[in-house]
Amino acid sequence: MSLALTLALRGLTLLGVLLAVLALVVVSLGATGFSDRVLNAVIREQLRTEREVLARTIRDPDQLEQVVAVRKQTLERQHGLDRPWYYRLPDAARRVLTLDLGEARTLRSASGSARVSDIILERIPRTLVLVTTATIITAVLGLWLGVKLATRVGSRLDRLVSYLSAVSYAVPAWWMGILLILVLAFYMRVFPSGGMFSAPPPVGGLRRALDFAWHALLPVITLVLVTLGAWVYVVRTMVLNTAQEFFVTVARAKGLPEGTVMRRYILRVAAPPILTNLVLALTGSIGGAILTETVFNWPGMGRLYYDAIRSADEGVIIALTFLFTLLYVGARFLLEVFYVTLDPRVRYS
Amino acid sequence: MTARLRVEDLVVHYRSERGLVRAVDGVSFSLEAGEALGLVGESGSGKSSLALALLRLLPSNVGAFGGQVYLDGEDVLSLEMAEFRRRVRWRHIAMVFQGALEAFNPVLKVGRQVVEPLLQDGAISHKEAETRARARLVELGLAADVYDRYPHELSGGMKQRALIAMALIMDPPVLVLDEPTSALDVSVQAQIMDILKGLKASRGLATLFITHDIALASDLCDTIAVMYAGELAEYGPADEVLLSPQLPYTELLLASIPRLRSDTPPEFIRGAPPDLAHPPSGCRFHPRCPYAFEPCPVKVPPPFVVGKGHYARCWLREKGPR
Amino acid sequence: MRPKDVWRVLWGSGTGKAGVVFLGVLVAVSLFVLFTYPRDFGLHRWNNPAYWADNPKSAPPAWTRLLGAKGVPHRLLEAAPGPVAVTGQEATLTTFSYEYSGVRPPTFISFGLGEVRYRELPLVITVVVDRPDGRSALLYRHIVPGPRPGETGPYTRYAETSFRALLSEDPAVADNVASFMRQEFGLEVTPQRLRGRQAAALFGTPEEGSEFQPLPGGYTFSVRVLAQDAGDSVGQVKLVLGGSTHGLMGTDAMGRDLASGLLFGFPVALAIGIITALVSTVIGTFLGIVSGYTGGRTDTLIQRSCDVLNNIPLLPILIFLIFILGQRLWLVVAILAFFGWPGLTIVTRSMVLQIRGGQLVESTRSLGASKWRIMFRHILFQIAPFVLAQMIFFTPAAILAEAGLSFLGLGDVSIPTWGQILEQGFQTGAVYLGYWWWVLPPGLLIVATALTFVLLTLGLEPVVNPRLRSVR
Repeated sequence: MSLALTLALRGLTLLGVLLAVLALVVVSLGATGFSDRVLNAVIREQLRTEREVLARTIRDPDQLEQVVAVRKQTLERQHGLDRPWYYRLPDAARRVLTLDLGEARTLRSASGSARVSDIILERIPRTLVLVTTATIITAVLGLWLGVKLATRVGSRLDRLVSYLSAVSYAVPAWWMGILLILVLAFYMRVFPSGGMFSAPPPVGGLRRALDFAWHALLPVITLVLVTLGAWVYVVRTMVLNTAQEFFVTVARAKGLPEGTVMRRYILRVAAPPILTNLVLALTGSIGGAILTETVFNWPGMGRLYYDAIRSADEGVIIALTFLFTLLYVGARFLLEVFYVTLDPRVRYS
Repeated sequence: MTARLRVEDLVVHYRSERGLVRAVDGVSFSLEAGEALGLVGESGSGKSSLALALLRLLPSNVGAFGGQVYLDGEDVLSLEMAEFRRRVRWRHIAMVFQGALEAFNPVLKVGRQVVEPLLQDGAISHKEAETRARARLVELGLAADVYDRYPHELSGGMKQRALIAMALIMDPPVLVLDEPTSALDVSVQAQIMDILKGLKASRGLATLFITHDIALASDLCDTIAVMYAGELAEYGPADEVLLSPQLPYTELLLASIPRLRSDTPPEFIRGAPPDLAHPPSGCRFHPRCPYAFEPCPVKVPPPFVVGKGHYARCWLREKGPR
Repeated sequence: MRPKDVWRVLWGSGTGKAGVVFLGVLVAVSLFVLFTYPRDFGLHRWNNPAYWADNPKSAPPAWTRLLGAKGVPHRLLEAAPGPVAVTGQEATLTTFSYEYSGVRPPTFISFGLGEVRYRELPLVITVVVDRPDGRSALLYRHIVPGPRPGETGPYTRYAETSFRALLSEDPAVADNVASFMRQEFGLEVTPQRLRGRQAAALFGTPEEGSEFQPLPGGYTFSVRVLAQDAGDSVGQVKLVLGGSTHGLMGTDAMGRDLASGLLFGFPVALAIGIITALVSTVIGTFLGIVSGYTGGRTDTLIQRSCDVLNNIPLLPILIFLIFILGQRLWLVVAILAFFGWPGLTIVTRSMVLQIRGGQLVESTRSLGASKWRIMFRHILFQIAPFVLAQMIFFTPAAILAEAGLSFLGLGDVSIPTWGQILEQGFQTGAVYLGYWWWVLPPGLLIVATALTFVLLTLGLEPVVNPRLRSVR
């Protein structure tokens, strides 16, 4: 019962966050006059085309201007430009939520569609593949290495890893990616320098899959290398601290074998704080995805963000900002579920 | 009749920055079935190390660990660790820890932790084990649903009782209690002591009761051993030790207990407990002893017999009891 | 903990010492830059292509030649001749000597003039080169623009903007070199065939297959002038023989000297990191103390705000806001600081909660101290070392965030940063072309700067964790 209540309350807070971001996006678009400018530009474009069409039938220039002026007013009313920006807010909010943001200016999806939702949706799985693979590898590797180090505190391996972790906190993931491209792709020519498939992509299911994996290797390595350092250190420290707790001695006193003690009394107890730090890793993943995909020209959501910035495509940018927030908030909620399930002390009763 | 527990020349030394800490320096005693031995001493006297040593739970920085510990005639210190863990720990000798420390795993339910030792060798079914555990908890005066609670939901007294239930889950013949009531208030303390008295009587439990409070020990124990600086300085039947202590230290300990209806105020023992890495020469108590004379700083006093089953390590007793 | 103790702890460990040394270097370089660079470096120098016109483009650093890379040094030869001698025929304005090692011809040749003055008739400038094989070639002839309608003498030309001709690409030069080849070597070659290889032709002798064998030796370029009046003058003459390497750190695609750009980044990075950390620390600590000490509704309000802010992903929102509000550095700092304070508030609050129950607070309160006084004189004093350590720990995050943002193209163009240099490199494909001098140093500097603060944090650990103080 208390588990459900706790989760419900947390879910509510996160929903609030989502709405807050939505509000932020929509309000800043309106208050800075940005949406006004964009809508005016859209209307101007439309009028220009219409004017050309009308000019073929209406010969009199004054009449033409009149018709165009009336058209302009109609369009302005349609887009809500006749009233201040905050009247457009609810509609704008709804449209952001449903990703109904019209068409992108210059970006297109692989199938040629200009609709923002199409462009974005086809990219989501590509990003998820990278981020999920990297997270799983980091988590497993980090846990294994962290536990191993915790049982060997003070050893040379332990000290080495500690220093490396500290250093990796200072290294930007995307620059590490650039470094890897320079060394492994340019100088050693072992890996491709970017993209998702070779050009032209190979035929046949297995060869395609292998080509895909070969291209995904460097981006995944980059993502892993940079989160791994801090992660290993956190696991090691948490496990070490928990292993010194008194109840671990008690567990041994009760005659429990060492394996059980490690699993049920050390790892299980250290899990909640370790999970909290997973959140930090997650923060890195979101930003890391954007920058790493850019560096490796991996056609996912992150790279789309970069392309949209370069071509100033605000529809895509708005949609992506909201989507990234949604993903982030969703992941955090998932983490909350894990945390509350694992640690009974934080539940409301 | 073989003693349930017999300890001979137990030695536990730790390695530390200050040097070799001689926490337990040659301790011997024995415990019969149904007997309660009170081990009394100040903090830092080595009594907790003694308790941990009996269960072979010493930390990794132990320097020397020697002597013999006989449980029903078998020297359990010489066993392989795996066998000790399987056969002896918790089945033959169990421990109730200080309530002040976090003895319970915070993320597991209490019942689960009580039941764990029973499920180790798979001989009993889960259902059977759960029934037994619930019964045990009720025996100790707890509500049946404590089994389903988490440790943070229990009060100090409840947790202590649960710890006792957990220690007794495999019906061990020997029970060690390390300061089981020091974190509790007096009324709860009294309840726990009653429970222990009952267990002693009903199960013939051989109890080693470790405390700093000599008055508390007198309530439950048949024999009292006074530990000072890693050694048993006085050992004897409870009423003898309490009514006519043969050791200056014991005398001072008793004098420091405030008495409700007395004109004399309690005295404190001047000085501080010795550094176990560099104990004083000769009799370890001599710097603080009001009766110290020539042999005290020079020679270590052997245990002088001062009565039946009663000895004291004090040069004053060389010629016999007071 | 007094400042002296903090210093002693910091200096006591290897990591702390390293951190302090690094920080010293950073500060020293930053001060140097602040005193020597012009205020508008970003706009008027760095982003001004004309300023870098004479540099070779995408050239590795000059010292790579020492390590064995084959290259040609960059030579910028200048003279300020002044008044011209009037003799009725061509007078030599100035001569430039150039020693050609024969490895590679210059990557480009450019000729420049500045501050030309004449009274009546425009000056005619000629450039002739004397080769080591004794042959001379007329390279280029230029007539300074004549009077414009309504203009009266004396006339000044090339005063605000100098004249610049790219001799290695100029078609007139191609013509001249073609004639030279025909005359001296009997080589029939059209100027079109020579286009792009004028420099190679000039510095070589023709051989089969329309290639040119390099001709090493001393070359003399004489700049001659034909002037009519005694008052005529040429203020500046410049001849640039482009090298394949240049500068301490090489150049980028625009010819910009990367060393000067990288140096400029030092104070900017430090400022970003320290200001962001300072602002978010001040706000965060203040709110943390208030929240922890006051409790009740204020506490709940502050905690909820932290909760909301912590659940917002930083980079996407940063991208969006900068995109909408404009690419300005102070905005980036403000947004980073705004999202940075919740972290500190939570940590400070939990520390304050611990202290609040302690006896110091109780006794101070019983002495009649006001709430604010307790909070700030006593509590703040106690948690100060920890707050300092946190501030130092958060500094690199801001630097890295700004670098990432710049890399995506959202940097503040008027204030060049290392991230922007990396972005330009990436955009022009420097990574795929192997321009390591463009791509490695900015990243290394970012890492070094962030690492400095990490080392300082590690060095301060004993302050934060007193148990570690005596352990070495």
